[in-house]
Order: sequence, then C-alpha cells, then structure tokens
Amino acid sequence: MVSSPIFRTVGQPLRRKEDERLITGRGQFTDDFALPGQVWAVMVRSPYPHARLDGIDSTAALSMPGVLGVYTGADCIADGLGEIPHNPVPSTNFDVKLTGPGGGPVFIGSHALLPADRARYVGEAVAMVVAETRQAALTAAEAVEVTYEPLPWVADTVEAARPDAPRLWDDLPDNILVDSSFGDAAATEAAFARAAHVVSMVARIGRVTGVPLEPRAALGSLDAETGRYTLYAGSGGAVRQKHELAKVLGVEPDRLRVVSLDVGGNFGTRNRAYVEFGLVLWASRKLGRPVKFRADRSESFLTDYQGRDLVSEVSLAIDQNGKFLAMRASNLSNVGSRCVSLSPLSKGSGLITGSYDIPCATLRSRAVYSNTMSTQAYRSSGRPEVTFAIERLIDKASRELGIDRFELRRRNLVKPSQMPYQNAVGSIYDSGEYELNMDRLLRLADWKGVPTRREAARRRNKLFGVGFANYVESSIGTPKERADLIVTSGGIEVVIGTQPAGQGHETSFAQVTADLLGVPFEQVKITLGDTDIVSAGGGTHSGRSMRHASAVITLGSADLIAEGKKRAAGLLEAAEDEVAFEDGIFRSGASNRSIDWFELARLSGTFRIRRDNEMHTPVFPNGACMCEIEIDPETGGLEITHYSTVDDVGRCINPLIVHGQTHGGIAQGVGQALWETCFIDPESGQPLSGSFTDYGMPRFDNMPSFATEIVEVLSPTNPLGIKAGGEGGTTPAPAVIMSAIEDALAEYGPIEITMPATPLKIWSAIQDMRRQQSLPTGIKGVA
Amino acid sequence: MVTVSMVVNGTKVDKEVEDSLLLAYFLRETLGLTGTHVGCDTTQCGCCVVHLNGISVKSCTVLATQADGASVTTIEGLAHGAELHPVQRAFRECHGLQCGFCTPGMIMAATELIDTHPGPLTEEIVREEMEGNLCRCTGYHNIVKAILVAAEEMRLPGRAAAGD
Amino acid sequence: MYPFTYRRPATLADAQRLFGDAENASFLSGGHTLLPALKMRLAMPSDLIDLAAIPELHGIRFEDGALSIGATTRHAEVAASPVVGERIPALAGLAGSIGDRHVRHRGTIGGSVANNDPAADYPAGVLGLGATIVTSRRQMTADDFFVSLYETALEPGEIVTRIVFPVPAIASYAKFRSAASRYSVAGVFVARTGSTVRVAVTGAGAQGVFRPAELEAALTVDFRPEAIKGCAIDPATLLSDQNASAEYRANLILVLARRAMEKLGTIQSFK
Repeated sequence: MVSSPIFRTVGQPLRRKEDERLITGRGQFTDDFALPGQVWAVMVRSPYPHARLDGIDSTAALSMPGVLGVYTGADCIADGLGEIPHNPVPSTNFDVKLTGPGGGPVFIGSHALLPADRARYVGEAVAMVVAETRQAALTAAEAVEVTYEPLPWVADTVEAARPDAPRLWDDLPDNILVDSSFGDAAATEAAFARAAHVVSMVARIGRVTGVPLEPRAALGSLDAETGRYTLYAGSGGAVRQKHELAKVLGVEPDRLRVVSLDVGGNFGTRNRAYVEFGLVLWASRKLGRPVKFRADRSESFLTDYQGRDLVSEVSLAIDQNGKFLAMRASNLSNVGSRCVSLSPLSKGSGLITGSYDIPCATLRSRAVYSNTMSTQAYRSSGRPEVTFAIERLIDKASRELGIDRFELRRRNLVKPSQMPYQNAVGSIYDSGEYELNMDRLLRLADWKGVPTRREAARRRNKLFGVGFANYVESSIGTPKERADLIVTSGGIEVVIGTQPAGQGHETSFAQVTADLLGVPFEQVKITLGDTDIVSAGGGTHSGRSMRHASAVITLGSADLIAEGKKRAAGLLEAAEDEVAFEDGIFRSGASNRSIDWFELARLSGTFRIRRDNEMHTPVFPNGACMCEIEIDPETGGLEITHYSTVDDVGRCINPLIVHGQTHGGIAQGVGQALWETCFIDPESGQPLSGSFTDYGMPRFDNMPSFATEIVEVLSPTNPLGIKAGGEGGTTPAPAVIMSAIEDALAEYGPIEITMPATPLKIWSAIQDMRRQQSLPTGIKGVA
Repeated sequence: MVTVSMVVNGTKVDKEVEDSLLLAYFLRETLGLTGTHVGCDTTQCGCCVVHLNGISVKSCTVLATQADGASVTTIEGLAHGAELHPVQRAFRECHGLQCGFCTPGMIMAATELIDTHPGPLTEEIVREEMEGNLCRCTGYHNIVKAILVAAEEMRLPGRAAAGD
Repeated sequence: MYPFTYRRPATLADAQRLFGDAENASFLSGGHTLLPALKMRLAMPSDLIDLAAIPELHGIRFEDGALSIGATTRHAEVAASPVVGERIPALAGLAGSIGDRHVRHRGTIGGSVANNDPAADYPAGVLGLGATIVTSRRQMTADDFFVSLYETALEPGEIVTRIVFPVPAIASYAKFRSAASRYSVAGVFVARTGSTVRVAVTGAGAQGVFRPAELEAALTVDFRPEAIKGCAIDPATLLSDQNASAEYRANLILVLARRAMEKLGTIQSFK
C-alpha cells in the first residue's frame, strides 16, 4: 500500500521551521509564561523512602509572610479530587498481554495528588505550600511540620521481588504486580535438552533518568467567569494530559485547556501526568489566582519519571554448528512506587530473541513495586534492555564456543527471505536486511583498519576495544491519530495531536503534506500542542509520530483532494469526475482550465477536513552498531574514539533530522553505559544522584563525533513505508559500549562490570584480574 | 531592595529589585527576556549563559546587583534585526538544536568563544572549551559542526559585523 | 535563597566595618561557590559583602622575586596572564583547568582558597608552591592556612587579600576529573625550588589538601618519575565515595604524581 506521490521535499535535509524562534530566544517553554497575579507553589517532599504520615502541622507555615495556603492529602480527599488515572498496560492488538500473578488483572496502586496514608519514595510530595513569591513558599515549606513514622523499605529490584520484602501496598500479598509467561515451554525444554551448548547470564540494566534540560513546570489558572481551567505544561501529549487531569479535577474535559508549546526535551519523562500539574489547577481554584510551579533540577532528579531498571536472566541453547535452538528469559521490571507504565517490560518482552532466528523461546515477565520514583518509558523503552541481554549473551557464547562474534551472528540472523518473520514470542518483524546492515556497518566503521588502530593504541599504553551489536526494535504506540487539514488562500494548515520535544514535526510533517498535496513546503504550517485547537491525538512516544502522522495525513490528503475536486468542478464548470488532480493543480480536461489550492480557497472559501486513523500494526526498525574505545589501564579512564551506526528507519522524510535523532539517541545510550545512574544508598535508601555534580552526563568532551548511515527498507505496513528514527541510536548503545570494554580487557579474561562502567569499576576489575593472574602492573606487551 | 542599572541588548534599564535576585531571573522575570533559560541549580548546564561586558557568564550564578553598571547581551540581542548572527545561522544550517532549550546558552557561549579564542578553532578545542554547556538532544555532534562552520565564516574578511 | 542585604564597599576598611556591623555577613568574591550554596539554601547570611569593587584586591604583579595575585583575580585572568605563564606555567595551566570557561570568567583565586573545597584545584597549587596567604590582618604560610575540609585558619571577618607565590625552578600539575562534577577526584601538584621539592594533593584527602611526605622525600632524593616507584599512600587518610574508593584514589595519586613528573612544566587533565 505504499503510494507514490511526487517527492520533492520528502527525503531532503530541509532546514527546520522550528529553529527561527528557538535560535532567537523566542521559544515558548512553560516557565516563559506568566499570568497577572500569579502565585507560587512549592512542594514539601518526603525525606524517607517509606513512612507513615502521622500528621501535618501547617500552623507555623501559614503564619509566615506571603503564605496563601498549605494543602495536604487530607485536603485532596475532602475536596473529592480524583487520582491520576494511569492506564499502564499497553493495549494495542500487537502488545504482549501482561497480567497479574495467576492471570488476573494488574494491581495499580492509587496515585492521589498528595498521599494521605504514607510516603512511598524519597521526594514524594506530601504537602503543597502556595505563597506570593517562590522564595516565600520555599521558606514556608521548610516550616511545615510533618510527623513521619519511618517504615521498612526496599529499593533494589531483585530484593523487592522477594516474598518477605517490605510491602508497598496492603492490597497485594507481596510487591509483584505482573507475572506472565509467554512462548512454547515444552518445545523450549526439548531444545535445551538436546543442545550441544547452553550459555547463560544475568543482565542488569540499572535505573537512569531522562534529564530533559527544561525542568518540568506548570502554570494553572481558573477563569472565574467561564469556569474553564487552563494549564501551561510541557508534556508528551497535551490531549492525554487534558483527559487525565479533567478526571482528577472531576470536570468534563472541555472545561480544561492544556497548552504545551515548546517542550525542552522529553525522552518519555513527560508522557504521564505529574501530581504538580493537578495541584496547580486545584490551587488556582481554591485561591482564585493563577498558580505556578517550577521544579529545581534537584527536584527533577528525584521526581521526574525515571527509566529502565530491568533484570534479565537469559539462556541460549546452541547446537554443535553454532545455530541457536531456543532461548529462555526471565525479566523483572522495577516500576517504582506506583505503576504508571508497563511499557518498559512489555516492549522488551516481544523482542527477547533480538535480530535472530531462534525457533522457540519462553519468557517470564514480572514487574515489582519498590520504594523508588516510578519508572516510565524512557527513550526506546524496553528495547535497550533486551538488546543488551541478547547481544551480550551472544558475545559470551562466541567466547565460550570459540566462534567469531560476527560469524556466530551471521549464522543466526533473520534473513530478508523470512520477512515478515514471526519470532518465538509472537512479534512479526515487518521487513529488514539484517545481515546487509552488518556488512554496511563494517565498511562504515572501517573494520579493516582496526588492527592498525589497536596497535597504535597499544603503543600509547592504552587498551583498545571494539564493541558491536545488532538490534531490532518495535515501534507501536497509541494506535489512534487525528489530523485536521485546512486550506486557506494563504496556505495549508495541519492540526495534529502529536507532541514534539525537538523532533522537528513542524518540518517533517510539512514535507509530507507539501508533497502529498503538491504545494510549496513554505506554505504548509503544522499546529500542535494546544487542546483548544488540537481535539484528539496520541502524543509522541514509542517512535510513533512520523508514521502515524504520515498515515493520517495521507488519508486526509485524499479526502482533501476529493473535496477540492468537488469545489474545482463548480469553478471550472466541469463535471466532478472530469476534474483531475496532479501536482497541486486541479484541471478540467473538458474546459482545459485549471486552478490551484489557494485560488480554490480564495474563490470558494476556506475549507477543512478532519480525518481519524487507527493503526495497530507495529514496525521494526533495525540496525547494527560498532564503537572503538581506549582504556587507560592505570586510571580506568575511558575514551570513545569511533562510533558508527547503520539504522534502517524505513522511509526517511528528513535525513538532517533523522541523523540528529540518531546522534542524540547514541549519547543517551552511551550515557547509561558509562556515567548515568540513579544511585540509591543501600544503607539509607537515599537517592544520591540529586544534581549534575553527582549524575554524570554525556558532554562535549566525553562524546566523539559519529558516523551514521541511514538505510531505507520501506515498511509494508503504512502508506509511506516509515519505520521510526528516534530510538535506534539508543537501543544498541549500552550493549555496544559494554562489548567494547570486554574486548579491551579480553587479554585478562572474562570480566563482569555493571553499568555504568565508571573508571573506578574498570580499574578495580583490572586490579582483580591482575591479582588473580599475578600479572605485572604495566600494560601487557609494552615495555 | 536595590536599584540596578545596566545596558541590556543596547537598551538602558533601571529597576528596583530584591538584593538576592539572580541575573538570570532579572532578565527572564523583570525584563521578560525569556530566551535565557535556567536548567540546573549547580552552575553546570550553561542554559543561562549571557555576555556580561562581552564575557560569557552563567547568569544563574551572578546577582543582578553584581551586574550593576554593566552591559549585558542575551540571545534576544544577538541578531541585527532580521539578520541573524553567523552562529545562529550555523546552528540552523547544521541542525545544531533539537528541543532548543539549551540553544540560547550554547549560542551565547559559542559566539564568545569564537570572538575571543586566539587562533583557529578545531573540533578538539571546541569540545574542550564548550564543556560548560550541556545538551540532552543532539549528542553534541551537530553543535560542534555548527560552531566550526560559524567560526570559519566569521574569520572571512568583510563579513557582516553582526553580533555584540 | 533566603533574603539578604547586598553591599559593595570600595575599600578594605569599609568591608571590614560592614562585616562588624552585620548580624551574620559573608564575603562575596566571584560567587561561584557561595551563590550555589545560597541557592541550595545551605546558608542564611544577613549580608553579602561584595569585594569586587576594592581595587587593591585585584590584579597580578611580579615583585620582589615573587608572583603576587590579588584575591579577586579571576581564574581566566590568571590563566591568560603572560606574567604567570612565563614565571609559573603550571599555575596558569591549573587556573585554566578549573571548572569550565564561564566559571573561570567569574570564579576568583581568593574565593577558591578561602572556601578550601577538598576537590578544588587552587589549594593544590597554593600548598604545592608554598605560597603565602596575605589577609587583612596578617600573613600565613599555606601549610598553616589550610586546616581541614572547607576549613581554613581565617578568623571571622578576616579577608584574603593576596596570594604570594615564590617562583619555583619547575612545577607541574596532573589531575583526574570526576565525570559528573568535573572537580578533581585527585590532583597532584609538584614543584621544585632549589633543592626543595613540594608535592600537594587535592581531591583525595580526608582532611582536604595535603602534602604526601613519602612522595616529597622520594622526589627530594631523586627528582625523576622513577623515584615514585615504591612509594605508597595510605588509603585510610583518603576520601571514599561510590565513584572513587580510597584505594582507587591512592592509586590515582601515585599515577598522577608520576605523570606530573614525566611532563614537568605542564598541566595534564585526565578523565
């Protein structure tokens, strides 16, 4: 069903429409909005990972200058506020079906704006102070006296799953909220029984956070005359926020307008409603003033929805020829204190066999509560985790079997002739040239030059390592999308319900629209993010936006052309079926007259069509990735010297943007491998990564330049053949970096370093291995 | 309260402000110049970089009163009317921004670096000198490219005398 | 920040008088340690006394065979100073390696030294070069000045005015930076003046900047990188955290000391 309009701008690296305002300081981020008479909200946050709330005394705070109100969980109940209606179980037709233990429903812990019973993680808001100024509110927040009764707590993923772990929810016998099994157990058992080799490992993919550079913020107001609320809050989807927050407030959705214009990064962190969003709206009702909240970076580190945190036990059964026979996996996902999304568990579950033809597999997927901030889909939700597990397991198999790591992969990759390919847990890969990706990558990364560079590094007393991984990921996402297409005499506007945070929708969607309708790119305007204009839409996550937008715009364009023909027929004095549309022009064969879109609108009036589309079929972006690193064995310091990727994104609408997405994705994946972690002190339960002085970030001087190549194997599942380009950079990156570290240290034998692989961990691993092997302290083979 | 006077983007301003008001919030909230952003509490992210008497500073860690009498240039003051500064142009040409939140600080840092660095810039120098600015979207690749492109253009004789 | 009153005296005498009159004043220099602390609400001074307008606290002079740097001289000025670059290139390099470009445009040597952050770079240079700290009341050797973590011999109201560095025959600095904070996990400053060798270590000591006696002794006997072989640092005297254990820091000190010796006259920054 791939259609073929004349592509003039699709595929071109057009410069972005967004940039003009952003490079001149005229962006409209949430904290840039100010309303007359606005006052400030500050949260009182729990210092305990788990504590009963035995009373909140706000007398002192209320007496301080400028303080307008102090609100607690009891006030939320008294005012009849609803809970945030999370809907965490992915539910497209193609998502794996996660259930509670025993096949029952998944228990979702209540998520009130402020808890009345207990605080369940460090940083949980237990009261809100509103004052005339932010400084006054901060000072008063320090004077709110909360009586906490500390309770036993658990933060670690594996420990939280133990039957005797401290429990977060009285309604559950333990902390386990999901326990589901997939695959053919009997066939898998049989295959393991006859395997020549079995290779196993436990992969730990730790907790990180998205760190969008714009700290989250919200400005809420209630118009006393109209009774309508307005919320300015950057998010991953204003429409979703509108519906969920309307439920919290107990009003019809049309009583709430959500405005989410420029969003300073998202990466998944902003895709679920935050308590502060509901709180500022509620406070604006109580006080009759606009109420603003702005998180400090330290608050963002504590209380932005976090990512990853999966433990995966995997085993591979392999025959004597190095062919994979079967796989077993058991994945345990830490959802934190409340279950806001099971996407990280679900997304990975369908992809445990990676890019490989593994005939049978079993998988147990579990999710567990813990006394930590909730996790959410974080860039490439679930896929870096399972890619890490399968790719690192294959590296281990390669070592144990003595088969070259590329050769072992080549023997097992899914072949183009097998497409569409159904993997052992039911996912249907749409298209791809997995082995060709490897070949392309080895050329791009100059694999032939590796021995020379390895030797050069050795002469500089550096340990040189090459990391490699293949990947396949799935892009599903909310299945529904809507577009309004509006033709005026001056241009064409498309109103759509995606929500970019830097992905350039205003540009790439305009390219698609321009080519489908045969109009200049400059005359197309994309409108997003204001729910008084955008009536419906699925937001931006899971690599869905370009694919869903192009599909609904394609359908809408056909409708628009039909409407245009009708109007043109009248103006051209021709029968409707005599009017042909080609390349932006309606033409009557009979009268030999023609008219373009804008003239049509000028003469017949502005016209618009609304188109809804529902699309469940997932796509499977895929690729291969290689990096080179050098380790200073004396300090454990590490430098990435080369980084190359080949990414099959399906049709690429704007290569400038897609390459940019890959670059940023790489940095986030590399960050997790080398520096980033939401470290929690095991003694106290205190998160110790509370600022940029503790949480290591990708920076100018620790990232290399990249070599990225786009491959376009069109997906047969949607009109333009699009897969996705936003997450492929991240998906293989943790595996590739850890693979490179293992290669660099190979001369010392197999090592186990968990992410992030800090200089301390690398140095300690080298020390341990040297002690075991009684090696001299210098670099091997260097005088 | 204290009275501060400074020249911001070429315009003289006199305001009475709290002694503890930071320059970043003076620009954003007192003057409404919201192009200068604040992304952290620890003087690290660089989203708030402006020029104070021609020198790049993190305006989240300068009191407005410390800038009394000074000349301040923000992202809003970089272009000459419709004519963008070469660094602004290069960021657009090279796709050196995605969400755009770090971009004002990046551009202000880059213009000052190009203006003051003796000798030609290399990728290595740019990566080292720009380490005080964080970006979460671009992986830095295209920002480095943009700065090198702008530096090259700005070195050419007879370039438009844009900028501060 | 809690509210405070900002003051900008034009003379040292006024600064001291304002301090005496205030309930609980703090001196403000570049503000790149104090203001972040105030933003985090870690301190609540009644008055901030900005030293920036006091002329005698500023500037770099070479006099009486020594390099005298005013307390409010910014890191970038020290880094770019031809006088410093010519006499003590390792000190100019150290100043140019602090924080980042924008921080160096504001941060000052007096502020850094008076704060005595255990991971700051300047204390290593000041102690390693055996500098003299001149204050509004007296002069102190670096050995007497640095007391412990964030602790110096300064009395309430006492203002660092200048740091006077004797010019060494040769000096160098090598440091390993934290991936997150960018402060030194360990930094080693080595200087030889005549037959005296001084070594100062920052970032690693449990009591802040310190002189490792064993390294100094070894290098005094034999001022070559090889002399460090066989030296040891007791991890019990070092800081330890989740990103850098005491054993790791002990190793870094020896590695960095050797590397500083291998490239005398330079600054090296590792990560």
